[in-house]
Amino acid sequence: MNRAWRILLFVVMAAFVVQPAVAQTPDAALAKLMEDARAEAAVPGACAAANVDRLVRAFCENRIRPGIREYYPLFGTREGDVRSGYDIDVARALAKRLGVEPAFIRVNAASRIPLLAEDRIDVIVATMGHNTQRDGQVRFIRPHYYQSESTIVGPRALSVKDWPDIAGRTICVTIGNGSNAQIVSYNARLMLFDEAGVLPGQLKDETCTLAAQDDSFFDYYFIEPDFAARFEKKFGFAQVPWGMAVARTASAERLARALDLMSQIFHRDGVFLEIARTNRVSTGFLERQQATWKRPECNTDAGSSNPACVLPALNADLEPTPFVGRVVAFEKWVKASTGIDLSLPMLKTMPAWMLFKDGIVNSLILVVGALAATLLFALVLGAVQSSRSILLRWPARAITITLQSSPVVLTLVIAAAVAHALFPYSSAVAIGAAIMALGLMNGSNAGQAIAEAMHTLRTERGSAQGRGGIPTRELFGRAVSRSATQIVSFLINAAKGTPIASFIGAPELLSALTDITSFASGRATTYSLLLVFYVVVVVIVVWLCGKLQSWLERRRVTA
Amino acid sequence: MMGKPFSAEFVPELLAGMVVNFQIAAIALVVGLALGALLALARLGGGVLGATATSLIGLMRAAPTFVVMFFLLNIIPRDATLFGIGVAPSGIMIVALSLVPYSASYVADNGAEALKQLRAGSPLGALQFLPNITRAFFVLVMSSSAGAAIGVTEGIAVILREAVLLPSLGGKLVVFAIGIIFFGVTLQAGFALMRLLQRHLGRLATRGSSAP
Repeated sequence: MNRAWRILLFVVMAAFVVQPAVAQTPDAALAKLMEDARAEAAVPGACAAANVDRLVRAFCENRIRPGIREYYPLFGTREGDVRSGYDIDVARALAKRLGVEPAFIRVNAASRIPLLAEDRIDVIVATMGHNTQRDGQVRFIRPHYYQSESTIVGPRALSVKDWPDIAGRTICVTIGNGSNAQIVSYNARLMLFDEAGVLPGQLKDETCTLAAQDDSFFDYYFIEPDFAARFEKKFGFAQVPWGMAVARTASAERLARALDLMSQIFHRDGVFLEIARTNRVSTGFLERQQATWKRPECNTDAGSSNPACVLPALNADLEPTPFVGRVVAFEKWVKASTGIDLSLPMLKTMPAWMLFKDGIVNSLILVVGALAATLLFALVLGAVQSSRSILLRWPARAITITLQSSPVVLTLVIAAAVAHALFPYSSAVAIGAAIMALGLMNGSNAGQAIAEAMHTLRTERGSAQGRGGIPTRELFGRAVSRSATQIVSFLINAAKGTPIASFIGAPELLSALTDITSFASGRATTYSLLLVFYVVVVVIVVWLCGKLQSWLERRRVTA
Repeated sequence: MMGKPFSAEFVPELLAGMVVNFQIAAIALVVGLALGALLALARLGGGVLGATATSLIGLMRAAPTFVVMFFLLNIIPRDATLFGIGVAPSGIMIVALSLVPYSASYVADNGAEALKQLRAGSPLGALQFLPNITRAFFVLVMSSSAGAAIGVTEGIAVILREAVLLPSLGGKLVVFAIGIIFFGVTLQAGFALMRLLQRHLGRLATRGSSAP
């Protein structure tokens, strides 16, 4: 019996040993962590120790130093001594939960990480997006305390609901915005600005029909009744979770852990949500997060490391090209040799390299297509305008006068509008529409020159087919030879006009390089190379046209 | 919407936008005249300077306006200063400057020809320079529509922002047609002016040659 009791006792104890540990609530884990840190802070001499733990130091000094922004409407602003905004209130709530005072220190986008590294602030609460690049610089607090997304804003009257609706449209963006690459991939055209602050003004004065920027930025402007009455958010994309962050050092790990647990609790209990409502910022993300952190599997002390509960960092790394090392070495060599700060972003990352290669190919297709279309329309319209039938001649003249009266940009836009009404938007359709427009514009003028030459030949010779004179086909050939100078002039004009095809979304080199510079540096080099490329292309076209002109003139002399 | 497919402000705004097109063309022509005259004189002077001017004129002829515009837009810093004075050009100035290679090379070509005529003792032949410049001015007016691509509110930008709000292709085409009429009338009036000028110069030439 005694033995049986011993066996039973062993089995019961063994069952307790192998049973998984019962998960703690985040509240209990936080309480324990803070209690331990307070106890350490109370030990004489602990606060004066070198490299003291930062959570312990917060209790020693009875303060925490949040780095916050002062000029980011709704999130961090300052008027005199009064600070307000979502980030400010979040920092206050953290300090209150720790039982210490917040000692705010101003940061901006450029200074926030260096100030943390220099131990001049304890935690960043400053609209900082969590991406993979920053992961190596700071320790982000999980779960994230907010999430912004890029949003497309435009007039209420404009029907834009999703990506297919933006193809071929112009969208105003700021240079360097991480979401630009995504906009480009949907065949939109970008108009670049240096500062986000100008975008609402550009929308109001209708310079921009659509603009893309963080929703947190536009939230402020949507508080204005006039702005909200005229514009609306069309759709959002490129969500970026915002993270508080502490230094990536061992001494900051306990503070990070405390903030992780607090962030969990604040989501679950709706503290972040309430702060957002008070500051009138968007609450959609916070409502979804509250539901997540109320779930039993997330509402544990291990929830902040559970991939099913936390959001991943935004992957901001662009795939490098296989030859990026040689490109960087070349840039350094140029800098060392000449002092010129050369930057070749189109050769460094795969997305930029693909855009660049496609841009060059499309530009050459455009040039060849525009030359062929100009020649074809010149011959057709020249022949029709030379016809003796009024029914043929006058419509051709009307088309020529209309095309001459329309500025080049307008003709391109009309061609694109008609093409898009007939076919779904694609790069090929945009290139095709541009070739047609450039061919018609230049071909109509060259055709008019051919018709005028035909008229003078008829007047000079007083002959026509059927009356014992030169057959019309031969006479037309001579008219083409006679108008060689004009034809060549309009062929060159067509080649020079091809970059304007970017206006209707044709992905030629200008368009490609504008897209590249929207998410990479090196604008000066990029646009200098672009100018050189097009000047060389036009010089080659001029040379080839010179050969054509010589051939036509020789033909005239022979005739 | 059964009547006009466009807003009441459209036509006044279009006219105001077209004034901007004329401003851009005027600036481009004035700068082009100054630069083109210097290039024409240098070219006629011959030597190294003449060869340099000829090469420069060739390059200016080959430079596409649209690319030059984006080049200037991106190469000149927005906070550029000279002796402490802000010199960053406005959108209108950037469009005008992008048209200068065309206008200057045109002026240089036609100016050199006019100077040759003048030196050959034909002042009236040299005066043909004036109708040619008028033609260039109207080409510049039409070309200034490129400004729409960088946010300059000129005539075409007004037309495009009106059209973008119209859902049907028919409505858009009506707005485009109005634009063509407005620009077309302006252009044809300009060319009529040029022809009048040519005829007037022709009459002067006839009188000059018949005079004792």
